[in-house]
Amino acid sequence: MKLTASKIHQALKEQGITHVVGLPDNLSRVFFRGLEEDPDLEVIKVCREGEAFAIAAGLHIGGKKAVVLIQNTGLLEAGDALRGTSWNMRIPQVILLCYRGFKSLKGERERTDSAALFTEPTLDAWHIPYGIIRDDRDLAKLHDAFAKADTTSKPAAAILADTTV
Amino acid sequence: MLDKYTCLEKLAAGRTDEIIITCMGTAKPWENLSDTALDFASVDSAMGHAADFGLGIALAQPGRRVIVLNGDGSMLMSLGTLVTIAQRPCRNYVMVIIENGTYEVTGNQEVPGVGSVDFAAMARGAGIEQVYTVEDEEEFEERLPLIFQGKGPSVFIWKVERGEEPVPTFQKTLAERVRRLRRALISF
Repeated sequence: MKLTASKIHQALKEQGITHVVGLPDNLSRVFFRGLEEDPDLEVIKVCREGEAFAIAAGLHIGGKKAVVLIQNTGLLEAGDALRGTSWNMRIPQVILLCYRGFKSLKGERERTDSAALFTEPTLDAWHIPYGIIRDDRDLAKLHDAFAKADTTSKPAAAILADTTV
Repeated sequence: MLDKYTCLEKLAAGRTDEIIITCMGTAKPWENLSDTALDFASVDSAMGHAADFGLGIALAQPGRRVIVLNGDGSMLMSLGTLVTIAQRPCRNYVMVIIENGTYEVTGNQEVPGVGSVDFAAMARGAGIEQVYTVEDEEEFEERLPLIFQGKGPSVFIWKVERGEEPVPTFQKTLAERVRRLRRALISF
């Protein structure tokens, strides 16, 4: 099974997403391309991931519904932005997180990508609930993230653990 | 050099229904001038992210002008935002960089590059076309109408004297201030 970009795209539309704010990476490149071709969605590309949380918060306050799409490396960079906007502002922010190094977690420890090693402990430390989407069978976890964010008015993450096709 | 408090008073006198986003050294002085639902202090929020937060509101509310009163220290924390503003231009977005050369509310420590950083050149270099440096009262009076009526995105750099504002604190939490602004915007 694969992680099909068009199915994630469709799930976002079912959730009423109006804007995707983020920064593309190698895992999300196919997904990103499809989003940018969708005339009903606006994709805002940022220079650094912290901006994505601030812009998404502003969009929410102005009545839109944005998802943040970034790599786990960017999440680590964006900690204060996430804390100060999504978390402190009580924004039901869903984060689509591309899991660089996921496969390396099963290998020899000295070859493990530290981006992967730090990802889940960081989400746990920041009290951000998450589900890992390994392939299309896990897409319900994306809808779970929206439900958790809406219920708590706080951020929730869905992690894309493979390259989108 | 300009006096920040005089500039804010004149801005408040000319303001009608614009959203005003403040942070750090402008948050309390602006609250003393105006505290409506359309005034939002980005305090207890993310360091250096008032500018991009305001951009998000401007994107969501294209019929309403958003004026961000940013500090030079805050701008330096997220310079890439200048590029983000330029690559997704909003006609209704205005940012004022209030340049005093210091982190005012933490004790006036000098910001990196004080005296040599050229915010106007950086904004233009990022691709923003409407950029205005304001250094004295005459220029201020001449350019104030552009803040309310000029085509955005625009960046104004106000060169102001150093101040002594303390760390701003607010009775309402950040989440409460967010709810107040959101209610005001979504009811329109």
